[in-house]
Parts: sequence; C-alpha cells; structure tokens
Amino acid sequence: MSMVKKLSVWIGYLVVLLILPRLFDSILAISILNQMAIGIVFALSYNMLLGQGGMLSFGHAVYFGLGGFMAVHALIMIESETAYFSILLIPLIGGAFGLIAAIFIGSFSTHKAGTVFAMISLGIGELIAASSLIFVSFFGGEAGISGDRTFGPLFFGVDFAQDLEIYYLSAVWVFIATVFMYLFTQTPSGRMANAVRDNPERAEFIGYSARRVRFISFCASGLFAGIAGGLFALNYEFITDESLNAITSGRVLLMAYIGGLGYFIGPIVGAVILTLMNSLLSNYSDLWLLYLGIMFVLTVMFLPRGFAGFIMMHQVVWLRGNLKSLILPYLITGIPAAIFTSACIALVEMSHLEEEVFHYLGLELDPSATLTWIITIAIAAGSFYATRRSVGQLSDAWESANSFPDSEDR
Amino acid sequence: MAILSLKDVRKNFGETEIIRGVSLDIEPGEKHAIIGPNGAGKSTLFHLISGLFNVTSGTIEFKQNEIQNKTPYEVNRLGLARSFQVTNIFARMNVFENVRCALLWSCGYRYSFWHLLGKQHELNEKAMHVLEQIRLQDKALFPAGELAYAQQRALELGIAIASGAELIMLDEPVAGMSHSEAENAVELIRKITEGKTLIMVEHDMNIVFDVADRISVLVYGEIIATDNPENIRANPRVQEAYLGEVAVSA
Repeated sequence: MSMVKKLSVWIGYLVVLLILPRLFDSILAISILNQMAIGIVFALSYNMLLGQGGMLSFGHAVYFGLGGFMAVHALIMIESETAYFSILLIPLIGGAFGLIAAIFIGSFSTHKAGTVFAMISLGIGELIAASSLIFVSFFGGEAGISGDRTFGPLFFGVDFAQDLEIYYLSAVWVFIATVFMYLFTQTPSGRMANAVRDNPERAEFIGYSARRVRFISFCASGLFAGIAGGLFALNYEFITDESLNAITSGRVLLMAYIGGLGYFIGPIVGAVILTLMNSLLSNYSDLWLLYLGIMFVLTVMFLPRGFAGFIMMHQVVWLRGNLKSLILPYLITGIPAAIFTSACIALVEMSHLEEEVFHYLGLELDPSATLTWIITIAIAAGSFYATRRSVGQLSDAWESANSFPDSEDR
Repeated sequence: MAILSLKDVRKNFGETEIIRGVSLDIEPGEKHAIIGPNGAGKSTLFHLISGLFNVTSGTIEFKQNEIQNKTPYEVNRLGLARSFQVTNIFARMNVFENVRCALLWSCGYRYSFWHLLGKQHELNEKAMHVLEQIRLQDKALFPAGELAYAQQRALELGIAIASGAELIMLDEPVAGMSHSEAENAVELIRKITEGKTLIMVEHDMNIVFDVADRISVLVYGEIIATDNPENIRANPRVQEAYLGEVAVSA
C-alpha cells in the first residue's frame, strides 16, 4: 500500500515537472522554470550536507561552479568537434567534475564537522573564486567562458535551441537527480550520515568512522551540485566566476534553510520560493534583496523548520480533520498581518524613492507628501495592533486543533 | 585464556596521572564490575579500553589483538561494544533507526550506498528483535530524543548490544533511575548479556554484588583488589577505601 503511495508521489512529481511549461508558457515563465530546475538540484545537494549530514558549508558553489565550467568546456569541445556526444549528457560531465573536486577537497575538509568544517569551506570557496581570475585559460577571467548547446548529435531531431526544449531536458535530469538523492537517504551510508549528524562520537562506537561517513555524503553532494552546474551551463550557455563565489554559496544556503532542512522536500520548496522572489520581485523593486534578507531572518526566528516544516505542522491537524477549524482564525490574524506587511513595505519604498511618485497595490503614492506618510504610518500602527491582539485567538485555535480528541500520541 | 587483558596501563593528562598502572584479566563469559569512589578513574579506564583515549603506556589486548591505540570504530569492529554514563543516542532519529544503525556494520553493510534499507528484511527483523528485547517495540517510530529517561537508558543498552558484541561494557547503566526502574534495568542487563562477557561500572552496591562474578576496586587510578563479591566485601582495605566511605555518605 505504502509502495503504491510512494510511487504515486514520484509520478505526480514527474507530471508536475513536465506539465508546468504548459500552464506557464511565456518566455519569462520558461526562463524562471529553468532557473528553478537548476535551483532544485543545487539546493537538494546542499541539504545532503547540512540537513542530513550536519555539515554547514559556506562554499558549496565551488562544486556547482566547477561542474558548470567543465560543462561549458565540454560544449566548446563538442562545437569544435574535439568530442562527439549528445548535450543530453552535459550534466553528467558537470557531475563528474563536481565529484572529483569533492573527493579532493573532502579528503581533508571532512575531518571535523562544526566550525572547523564551516571555516574550511569558506576558505576553499574564497580560494577557488580567487583562482577563477588567475587561471584565465580555464575560467576565462572576468568575462567567463561561453559555449553553444546546438552542436553535437541531435536528439530525435531536437537541437535544443529553444529554452523550452532545455526545460524538458532539465526536468528529466531534475527528476533523475531527485530520485537518486532520495534513494541515497535510504542506504546505510545515507542513514549513517544522519547518525553522525546527531552524535558523531556514538557513531564511532557502533563501528563507523564519522570522517568516512561525512566524506561519502560530501562526495555525493559534490556530484549533484556539479549536475546542477551542468544544467546551468546548458541553460545559459555561458558561465562566469559568479557561479562559484560566495554569493552563490549563500543563495543555496538560503534556499535550503528557507525551504526547511529537516525535510527532503524542503530544499525544493526553498528553491521555488527563492527563484520566484529573485525573478519576479526584482522586476518590481530594487529592494528585493532587502526583503529576502528580512524573510530569511523571520524564517530562522519563527519557522526554524522552514516552509516545509510549516506545511508539515498542519499534517497532524489535517489527519485529525481539524484543518477547517483553523481557516477563520488564520484569516482573523492573517488579514491585519498582511496589511501591516504591505504598509511596512510601502514605508520602506517611500523612504527609498524619496521624491518619485510610484504605484503600489493599485494606489499612487507620493513620498513627498506628508499626508501619505501619516496615513501609511497610521495603517501600519493600526494593523500591527490588530495583529498583536489576534495572535492569542490563533494560538488558542491551534492548541485546540492539535490536542483533540485522544491525548495519547502514538 | 583471557578475553581482555590490561598490562600496566597508564594514562596521564598533562602532569596528572589518572590511571597509574592497571593490570587486569577478564575471562570469557565473566560478569565483572569495577567500583571505586568518584574520581577514581573508572570512566577513564572505560575510555581507554574502548578506544576513545590512547594510553600513555602499557598494553590492552582484546582477543589477542593489541587495541590500546586503535580508534573506537576499530575496537568496536573486533566485537567490543559499550554504553555511556550520560545517555548517548541519536536524538533526532527514531528508536528503530537508532538500533538499525547500530546493527549495520556487524551485518556487513559497511559504507554501502547501493543497498536500500527498506528491502533488507533480515536486518529489519534483527532490529525489531532488539527492540523487543529492550521492550521498546511500541516506540519504534518515536523520536529517540523524546523518550522518557528510563526508556532512553534502555535504548542506550540496545545500541550497545545490537551488534552482538562478545564483550559489553556498561558505564553506570542504572544511574538516575528509580528503584523499580533500576530493577527492570538489571533484569534486562542480565537477559541481554547472557553468554557474553560484561564489564560494568556501577555505584549501586546492591546491583554490583547481585550481578558480578568478580569485582575490581579502583582507587586513585590503581586497582587495590580484584576478587569475588564475598572476599571484596570482607577485604579491610576495600572497606576502608570505598565501602566505608559510601556507608558514611549514604
């Protein structure tokens, strides 16, 4: 029974991946979907380190970037006919190179977890990013390197010139990578990674070298990060040092964390949210990075288990059939909270734009008028008060939805 | 032939000598208790044998292998398992996973990433069997970190014995338990160490005299006596160094 259930989840996942470009078929949407595909594989590979292995890395972009660079070099080789194979296999080239880099770096960085590991990862990240400007023949300096994905043997007549075609190729790779990363968690090495995360000392007393267990997770993570880098190379056909620097390393940490480290699907959720914010919000405001930062802080403070954790919190309520009883309390708190958030954003944008009149939620706001400020502040204060007052009823409703009907948990 | 043999084992931390020349032979199948006042070095001795600390000098042989400078996992793979004084489990994993992880190496899975655990029926049955032994089968899917204290201690035991090690070392297995919990725990220890060699550090004298075939008394890093319970009880040096002290403090 559970076998069928599991299989249907996977089939559902594949169907969603393949049907999305039918639902959202604009050029912008396809481009966002491609970014999501890259982000999902990258964030899942990061979670193998942090969520499952307890290794906080500040330099995961190294494996993504090196895989990406190698993949672009492979594209160039196909173009110049020094190699002849289908670009379908490009992610595999990226993965292989990510794996080689991880074997080399992991051989010394996985000696310890915790702060030592984090600092080494930071140092390696800086080192590789700096090398990218030194070894120009491989990294192409500041301009980066570019290739062309339309060469090599055709795949049933498809030359992958269109972004949509690349999306389908990526979707298949995302699916394969997700399946294998999930299966890894179900193997002895994958499970011991959890054990070492929880208690490295005890793991050694049941026969396992904590270092070796970390090393294996690290290599697997490098492999999949490299695959994500290969997808990046295919999608953009060029790559620069930005793909292996600290900004990219930071972004994947945000994706995994905001999504939820404790859940396998967490990084998928995080990759989707961050990609959407990155591509859509940046159209509306130059301050989107500020909002992203605030969201990260709020997530760490109030949703330590991420958005996936927030969703899973409701599973118990749902199983008890109490989800309906939460709708009204959520609305009572949610509406003033949404008004408060909107008012705060308006204030931030007003102080940012100063003189310029701008459109916001269908209103025309003039930051130079004092009245606009007074009204916005009043709305913010009022909705803040209303939110504070209503939080009590929400937590009461939450309690009663959870502590019902039999108190004994299984 | 002794299963475990310590010869003039010493351990210094900087200038301080913690273990000052311990020699001890443990026979196969023996139930051996190590007692001694606080700070005598009982836990340090456990850490030396199980590989957490390296010795400063001396040798430790386990089944004719010198183990004094081996890592904990190398020692464990030879068939020596231990529990800890402070509960030392995999808190975020469920009870079943805790025990299953403890079984993996001895079942030959090593660092495999090509076996799916769900399909390893023999392994899973073994894990359930261990859970039945430690009476936690109802809590199989419960997060280990959220178990009650006595149940965590039982799980601690389960992780230690799961691999089927020949020599089991228990560091204060009933510390912090109520009287009835301790009685259950002793029953459990008796059952799961049947036919195996046991070394135990314990403060509760009733339990020590009840379970042990032989007792060693460790005082300030030296063993002042090793003998059967009756002789230990009668030994004037032991009474002076340890039992008297307990009687006074209790």
